[in-house]
Amino acid sequence: MELRWFHVVLWGGLIAGMFLLPQVVSNGTLRTLIFANYLAVFAISWDVLSGRTGYVSFGHPFLIGIGAYTTAILTKRFDVPVEVSIPLAVLFTMVAGLLVLLPALRIRGSYFALVTLAFMELLYQLVQVIRPDLTGGTRGMSGIQTLTRGAANGYYLSTALMLCIALSMWLLMKTRLGTALAAVGMNEESVRGSGLSTTRLKAFAFLTSAFIAGLGGAFYVHYLGSLAPRAMFDINFLFTIIVSALLGGTSTIVGPMIGAFFMTCLLEYLRPVLPGAERYFVYGAIALILYMYQPKGLVKLVQLTSKA
Amino acid sequence: MSAALEVSGLVKRFGGLVATNDLSFSLQEGESLGLIGPNGAGKTTVLSQIMGELRQDSGTIELFGQEISALSTSRRIQAGVSRTYQIPRPFGDMNVAENIRVGLMPDDIWKLIVSPPDAERERELALSVGLAESDLLRTPSELAMGDLRKLEMARTMATAPRVMLLDEVFAGLTAGEVAQISELIQSMRKDGMTFLIVSHDLPALEPLIDRAIAIERGIMIAEGAFSEVMNDKSVQASYLGSV
Ligand SMILES: Nc1ncnc2c1ncn2[C@@H]1O[C@H](COP(=O)(O)OP(=O)(O)O)[C@@H](O)[C@H]1O
Ligand SMILES: [Mg+2]
Repeated sequence: MELRWFHVVLWGGLIAGMFLLPQVVSNGTLRTLIFANYLAVFAISWDVLSGRTGYVSFGHPFLIGIGAYTTAILTKRFDVPVEVSIPLAVLFTMVAGLLVLLPALRIRGSYFALVTLAFMELLYQLVQVIRPDLTGGTRGMSGIQTLTRGAANGYYLSTALMLCIALSMWLLMKTRLGTALAAVGMNEESVRGSGLSTTRLKAFAFLTSAFIAGLGGAFYVHYLGSLAPRAMFDINFLFTIIVSALLGGTSTIVGPMIGAFFMTCLLEYLRPVLPGAERYFVYGAIALILYMYQPKGLVKLVQLTSKA
Repeated sequence: MSAALEVSGLVKRFGGLVATNDLSFSLQEGESLGLIGPNGAGKTTVLSQIMGELRQDSGTIELFGQEISALSTSRRIQAGVSRTYQIPRPFGDMNVAENIRVGLMPDDIWKLIVSPPDAERERELALSVGLAESDLLRTPSELAMGDLRKLEMARTMATAPRVMLLDEVFAGLTAGEVAQISELIQSMRKDGMTFLIVSHDLPALEPLIDRAIAIERGIMIAEGAFSEVMNDKSVQASYLGSV
């Protein structure tokens, strides 16, 4: 699976297009797209673990939350510069990822989903009770240092982050390692029967996923400038991540990206019509219909239309 | 000289059922041993214990003189033993070449990232088991049972075993496919491969083995040349009983 000329053209076009976008769209749209970028990062993170290896995580906000809280607390309470706090946040998230990994080495399927969901709920409770002087308790934190000013700059930073992660993951997943992770998702016993340590492969997928989630969470909180536990650990946030990956197409990189942009736009354009939580019903229905129609995701639809 | 594979006093219980009951046998390097017995006799369970997919309750398993019971399945494969499954277990969303690629992978994450797949070797292995060039890009769902077994053989051979354990290699195959697989096994025997072969198809098995052991309910009931084993009274009784 070597690089082809059209790969370069497509990636080059995507990068150029995304960086030129602020010239033509409004600041309001840019703010929406910033969220889409971060959602894409989280969906890619989810997919590296769950889409590839089949270990479905229902607790990704746990990882994102560790990254976000770590850097928020370090910068706001201890005046640590972001150059230090963000790497530390990523490191902490990976250590936390290891904690989730331990039960995952033995269990699979719905139990794994439940365990990860429990981790998320646990963190939600913990940040509210333990040391509210640090975490801001139930109300969360505000006045967190932001890295950029204005919609355009926030858009450039999030776009650069998202494209860096997407491109490096895409390259990584084109190697034999990507094939091995996908093989774990298809038949773990046969992977072991091919002489590979599935524990090591799973550990790699977990740590990579945690790395991306921590990095995304940290940058996201430094974009928002505030952190509300109720939004971070909202089940709808979790589902938006998962549905983005499923809808776009799992076990790909472009899939979760497309899914994230699709979901963000859908939620945004439904907002004037349906301001409340009913929006989530609508997107649930749309997701379900699309998923039934094309379980391999939007990315497959795009491939099919471009071939036709 | 130590045996290629030496199993001693192997016991495996599933609750009250003793699936392997104090089983001992050994295989010299380059030898081919048939393992026969009626359905449910415990043949597959023996293979799974040798591979470490099931842990025995007691007994030892030595590969080229090394006790492997404490090793994980992947370590055992690296030590030189590999198996095929009664029901082939391919990677469903991957084509034939990619399936073989997984078998060829080193157990080293860094190498998996930096060194590219060896398409030539994948092709070689596929052709050597009798798959066609045009099969390389097919997915398992597009293959007939015979080709699935060939793919299973190719992926197993890709791990570079010195001892191969084959589970019901002929099940579900046409006469032509049986002949093809038999030919493949014969040529590998000539090259010095050591085999432990489980099969229900006794006429097909006979020419492929030097010796046979028969088990029933986990207990060895006969051992020796194929004809001796087949003429053994308890073997005949157990086969009659099972039909
Ligand atoms: N994982 C398991 N748990 C419980 N019983 C098992 C398990 N695997 C096999 N058995 C039982 O052990 C016996 C031997 O099975 P098996 O080795 O598959 O037989 P064979 O391959 O000779 O047909 C059977 O009675 C089977 O039901
Ligand atoms: Mg069997």
